[in-house]
Amino acid sequence: MNDPSSRPLLQTSGTYTAEVMQGIHTKAETGIYEIRGYGTLRQRRWATFDDLTFLPCGLTRIPLEGYREKCSTRTVLGGRFAKRPLELEIPIMITGMSWGALSYNAKAALAKAAAKVGTSNTTGDGGLSPAEREFAKDYVYEVLPSRYGIDVHDLRGASAIELTIGQGAKPGTGGLLLGSKISETIARQRDLPVGVDQRSPARHPDMLGPDDMVIKIEELREATDGQVPIFVKLGASRTFDDVKLAAKAGADVVVVDGMEGGTGASPAILQEHTGIPTLAAVCEARAALEDCGLYGEVQLIIAGGIRDGVDAAKAMALGADAVYIGTAALISLNCNKPLYLEDYRALGTEPYHCHHCHTGRCPVGITTQDPELMKRLDIEQGAERALNLLRAMTLEIQMLARACGKSDVHHLEPEDMAALTMEASVICGVPLAGTRKVFGR
Amino acid sequence: MVEIAAMAIDAATLSTREINTLIRARLKSGPAEISVENPNARHNLAVALLQPGRVRFAGSVGYYCGGLIDGAEIYVEGSAGWGLAESMNHGHVVVQGGAGNGAAAAIRGGTVVIHGDAAARLGVSMKGGLVLVGGDCGYMAGFMGQKGTLIVCGNTGHAFADSMYATTCYVGGNIGGLGTDAVVEPLSAEEAEMLDRLLAEHLPPALRAQKPPGRDFTKVVAGRKLWNFDKHNWKTWQDAL
Amino acid sequence: MCGIMGYFRKRAGNDERLGATMLSMLEALGRRGPDSAGVALIGPSHRAGYIVRVQAGDQLAMNNQAIQVNQEAIKLFAEALAGASDISTSGVYVRFLLAGEADLPELIKAIEGLGEGIEVLSIGHAMEISKEVGTPHLLESQHHISAFAGTHGIGHTRLCTESIVDLSHSQPFWGRGAADVAIVHNGHITNYHQLRRRYEQRGVEFVTENDSEVLAVYLAEALNRGATLRQGLDGVLRDMDGAFCCLAVTATEMGLVKDPYAFKPLVVAETADFVAVATEEIAIRSAVPGNYKVSEAQVEEVQVWSR
Repeated sequence: MNDPSSRPLLQTSGTYTAEVMQGIHTKAETGIYEIRGYGTLRQRRWATFDDLTFLPCGLTRIPLEGYREKCSTRTVLGGRFAKRPLELEIPIMITGMSWGALSYNAKAALAKAAAKVGTSNTTGDGGLSPAEREFAKDYVYEVLPSRYGIDVHDLRGASAIELTIGQGAKPGTGGLLLGSKISETIARQRDLPVGVDQRSPARHPDMLGPDDMVIKIEELREATDGQVPIFVKLGASRTFDDVKLAAKAGADVVVVDGMEGGTGASPAILQEHTGIPTLAAVCEARAALEDCGLYGEVQLIIAGGIRDGVDAAKAMALGADAVYIGTAALISLNCNKPLYLEDYRALGTEPYHCHHCHTGRCPVGITTQDPELMKRLDIEQGAERALNLLRAMTLEIQMLARACGKSDVHHLEPEDMAALTMEASVICGVPLAGTRKVFGR
Repeated sequence: MVEIAAMAIDAATLSTREINTLIRARLKSGPAEISVENPNARHNLAVALLQPGRVRFAGSVGYYCGGLIDGAEIYVEGSAGWGLAESMNHGHVVVQGGAGNGAAAAIRGGTVVIHGDAAARLGVSMKGGLVLVGGDCGYMAGFMGQKGTLIVCGNTGHAFADSMYATTCYVGGNIGGLGTDAVVEPLSAEEAEMLDRLLAEHLPPALRAQKPPGRDFTKVVAGRKLWNFDKHNWKTWQDAL
Repeated sequence: MCGIMGYFRKRAGNDERLGATMLSMLEALGRRGPDSAGVALIGPSHRAGYIVRVQAGDQLAMNNQAIQVNQEAIKLFAEALAGASDISTSGVYVRFLLAGEADLPELIKAIEGLGEGIEVLSIGHAMEISKEVGTPHLLESQHHISAFAGTHGIGHTRLCTESIVDLSHSQPFWGRGAADVAIVHNGHITNYHQLRRRYEQRGVEFVTENDSEVLAVYLAEALNRGATLRQGLDGVLRDMDGAFCCLAVTATEMGLVKDPYAFKPLVVAETADFVAVATEEIAIRSAVPGNYKVSEAQVEEVQVWSR
């Protein structure tokens, strides 16, 4: 009976896996598609930053000494038209995550960390939060299709405006915040009834198409006396065309958010099956700017699954002027940390596997509006952890840059890398290691 | 009686930035009556005016006139393009002609009055305030309206009050077609009085006289079937998602 | 994405200022689309024959020598063609008149077969299409359109989205194979590829990869079948998906159609004397004096004005 050799051999379908079956069982019960947080959970079978490697100096070039020789990380964004470009100490910024999706404590911790290290925080689909109002030094003010919480005074207090067309996790669609997170305060901020399952529109209410966007960008400049940079944020889809249009329409900076980008809540199929990967997106974006002669004049911020300084350095080598982090910043605040284990289990998950932001029952107090849960995220401790991450990532970028002989992280180039796979070589235009050839061009 | 200083601007020779700079500078030094000649349907006029004062455009304006204002009063003698008064915090915007798509888009408060017709998506995503149209309105007025009041004295287009949260709509003429989750509710006596009061306050008497009395208006609100996901409302969701 | 415009004179006779008015309107719209500009103008009718306009080559894709060779070939062809007269060149264009009847598809084939890169831009009893890469002022410097006197016309300025900037991708598009029909389009037809494949199966040839072209093909086919312009535009509303404001002209009519979503702007001014239509009111105010009202076209609106 207990003899292993007598047990039947289980043959599992590669098409109807346990996950797929469970998905169908769930749809049979609820009649609706799955909604969850986090972004694509798929195993990465497509070309990613992991398929590239840096080529540090050997005999042909001279490396810089770590810790001693200067490697500048100063980053300036938006010089194209803005009277006051955004000046940052590091090329890593915190991406837009709404107060609503995130708790007050989480927003406060991130704002403090960003202010301390000399970078910016971004608002999100809900306007300026009280946390940012109090603690942020430079905030990027997002103008999304929903226009929740939009206030001209907050807009004018921003260091940059980000006109959001789409987001990497779910391009072409609007935001989502389920009822458990539409608390009294959030409802008031967003002018919504308490407890609704909020769906944001996919389209802006007053502009449709790049020709309208030309006028909209001008309106935002008028509203801010032309002082601050206007970013246009795109979910990576038809990236080559979209980036060209955004640049031609007058954006100072284009933000491209790739498929691996995160979200607090969204239909799972959108996270898994829409948008192109971040590696592909940065290559298309750079090619688009070069094609219309604006590379260098219009800056590029890349987002979507930037996990560490290596990803950031590779994105920058491929053409990004800066990167946004979102999920990584939350992980630094204890997302998926093995704490409060019973609460993970109550959600049906475990640490390192949790993507249940949409429930509002975040065990570590980040993606919740429950005051008791939120207490578990101490603002000062959280700020210090996020600050540490930002600093560590910066050191990683500098280390790689110095190894490649650069005194400025912005001097990293595609030629500083080799591809480990054919696909990465084709996509990035970088030679395949071992062949000295670029494939597919 | 406080002297309100007057100022006249000829837009014909100035850039949009120059016009707006002049208006803002003038309003900064106190309430003023500013008239702008030859606006010529330019875009982005009177954007982000944050001080009280009155600006009158002797002609038509383009996109986003009165966008992002907080406290100013704007009068347009001609017609307006898209996004009239978009995202206004507070203020008072009146257009004697018609308005293009997305008039009063995402307003947080204040009033938008259009004597003529409004095009598609009137009051889209409005978060408060009052929108009043003397004439007809086009497709999908009130779409995803969150709060505030939307009044159309004439007829509406299709998909009226589609997918709304808590905006309340009133229609004097025919409703071309109710949007997803839009339902008609009975009009109370207080509401009929409120409509009469608002129409008398905001429309010129000759125009008001052509429109129905308050008690003949139809009230439309959200049926709330889209407020929370529920598989039993599948038919409703099929159209909405 | 672009700016479109149309102007239609209601009273009898020619408008001496038609070209000048259209040029002003286009210049006001030019900010929306700096990539290319074009017009389809309806002038006095050559009822007994056609006006043929041919583009000898695209300066962005070919060198000048090759274009000149083409231009010579076209001129020689016209000179040898029975019934042809008034042969002239301007820039990369050749224009000539052709008396009598003609099988338009055959004529197109014969002319375009003369050399690589040659494209027949328009054939009509009264209609002429001019387009240039760049801003509207080039229409004046290359084609002197301000001198054109006629009855109505449509025009277009372009900000290219998914296809490339070159002359043949610019608008207006002629309904090739049908005389005197052209369209301008603002928006994006989202079932373009599907429609195109169906037409190609029937032997229709597309010149560009631009989705707007399918509108011209569609209307040309409808009119050739005997449908009226109004019926053709009703069909557009039924069969096309996506965003569109479309203006169309025939020798005696101008029409407009707007999609069911009002994704793109289109304003109309109409008096006893004229109709002016444009993406933005500023285009009409800049060019047409007077105290008239302008209003936004409604969703699913089809309107046709006839002379």
